[in-house]
Amino acid sequence: MLLSLIGIIATLWLTVTGQLGLYIHPRYFVFTAVMAVLAAVFTVAAFAIVPSADAELDDTEHDHAHDDHAHEPDHQPEEPGGKPPSGTAALVGSVLVIVLTAGALLALPPATLTTSTVEKRDLNASVAGPTAESIDLTGGDYSSFTVKDWAALIRQGASDDYFAGTPVTLTGFVTPDPDDAENVFYVARFVVTCCAVDAQPVGVAVYAPGWQDRFPVDSWVTVTGEFDANPSLASLQTTAITPVTIEETTQPNQPYVY
Amino acid sequence: MDIRTATQPRIATGLTAGIGLTVVLLTLRALSPEEPSENLPELVQDFFTLSISVVIESLPFVFLGVILSIGVQLFVPARVFTRLLPTHPVARRAVMSLLGVLLPVCECGNVPLARGLLVKGLSVPEAMTFLLAAPILNPVTIITTYQAFGWDHGILLGRILGGFAIANLIGWLFSMHPRQEQLLTPRFEATCHVDHDKPVEGSRFRRGVLAFAEETSTMLPALIVGSAVAGAIQVGVSRDLLATLGGHPVLSVLALMALAFIIAICSNVDAFFILSFGSTFLPGSIVAFLVFGAMVDVKMLALLRTTFTASTLLRVTLTVGLCCLVLGLGVNLLA
Repeated sequence: MLLSLIGIIATLWLTVTGQLGLYIHPRYFVFTAVMAVLAAVFTVAAFAIVPSADAELDDTEHDHAHDDHAHEPDHQPEEPGGKPPSGTAALVGSVLVIVLTAGALLALPPATLTTSTVEKRDLNASVAGPTAESIDLTGGDYSSFTVKDWAALIRQGASDDYFAGTPVTLTGFVTPDPDDAENVFYVARFVVTCCAVDAQPVGVAVYAPGWQDRFPVDSWVTVTGEFDANPSLASLQTTAITPVTIEETTQPNQPYVY
Repeated sequence: MDIRTATQPRIATGLTAGIGLTVVLLTLRALSPEEPSENLPELVQDFFTLSISVVIESLPFVFLGVILSIGVQLFVPARVFTRLLPTHPVARRAVMSLLGVLLPVCECGNVPLARGLLVKGLSVPEAMTFLLAAPILNPVTIITTYQAFGWDHGILLGRILGGFAIANLIGWLFSMHPRQEQLLTPRFEATCHVDHDKPVEGSRFRRGVLAFAEETSTMLPALIVGSAVAGAIQVGVSRDLLATLGGHPVLSVLALMALAFIIAICSNVDAFFILSFGSTFLPGSIVAFLVFGAMVDVKMLALLRTTFTASTLLRVTLTVGLCCLVLGLGVNLLA
């Protein structure tokens, strides 16, 4: 019950402050909020009823109450007014779970994934996006293109000429190119299909020697420049942005792309 | 009369305690810093982000499942099942495996629902068949899989037919078990008996609320532990390794099954997720991912452990794994 309450409060808080997007895909926002409210109604009612129900069972049919609450000894939270689970180990376990959950869901500030996860998952390993055939870069409107769209186009291996000279403005977080960390960084985003667990990093290479002196890893930047052949020899990316300006920015409200 | 007078102040006390706790928790939330702390190592930060995202994503489905389960327990008379279901066990399980069409819940919501069905008197193999088949054989999953893959490479057909076959096979295997009650945890077994012998008294609303408190107290710790394990594996295991195995007919199947096991993603959307890997992996391994992940993963095992014994789950996991491997290899050979 306490865990339900923690979960509900955390969910509703994220919904109200618009931070639900840090964890799940927008298509679940409404469903999640509705279920949280519904569960809140039940939980409030439970807080009112459970203590008296337990007391009644105690008074009238003690054996029955005992059966009903014969808790399995692992991770059983103590219900308010309910019977504690048998054994101190179980009690310590439940308290631990509750405290850790409260800490993780309520006390920790909501956060996005970081470069540490980029390293665990291949950057641009898998991107579904627009195909080169479907888009005419010379005349098309690509101002709305996201990091994901560009990364997908580049990954398809179109020639450098195809991109050369195309102006581009992209916002994302900074993550180093593992093959040439000194000269190249990625302006990267996570693509989320369901929730943060399935986040796939995508990124577009930016050729900017000495970038590490100016921007810390994981900081958010807006890069304006043109696509060109990547001058870096070590980097596996053949196409990179030659930046005109790189400006620090704050993390957008929707840090992920979908 | 005595009880009633004693009950009123208890309700007030309970409510006050609830409201007090809510205020304390809200204050905690409001006082906690807005900006991510710089002190936490990235790895730890990501562990929390990933685990929390699994919890936040699954929680509404668990609540929905609990509420549906209570609805079945309170409003569907037991004779409905005896009248509507065929008498032959094989046919019964086949019908059970199609029940997901009516109840398109994500797999984490199916666990409380299956518990409700067990309490209603359905047999363990029947509930098991429902649990394994429903995440795959439901309209939402079928539509999203179709949207993601169409009819390409038999992925959709492989998922539907494979899911149906494996769920019924497991149901059949467990129906052979001589002592059905040993498949369940002693605690849940006791709950089933209590409900049969002495139905809880009181109005439906009251019973519903009590059942909600009981079910959520059982499911949420399991969900949270499962999510934490999933998050820990995610930050600990590098995906590069899995991705490099993509082209091999046998290893790619195993790799995607391992991915499905650790990623613990809902069956309603896993097709979109794996679509982005479509170019890297063979179709058979994708089918194995879609079937295995819907039936078994770390989060599901934690949830199922509330109801079934560890040895039962081990057998389910191994059998499903083996079947999915065969299914994946078969599709790879045919496609």
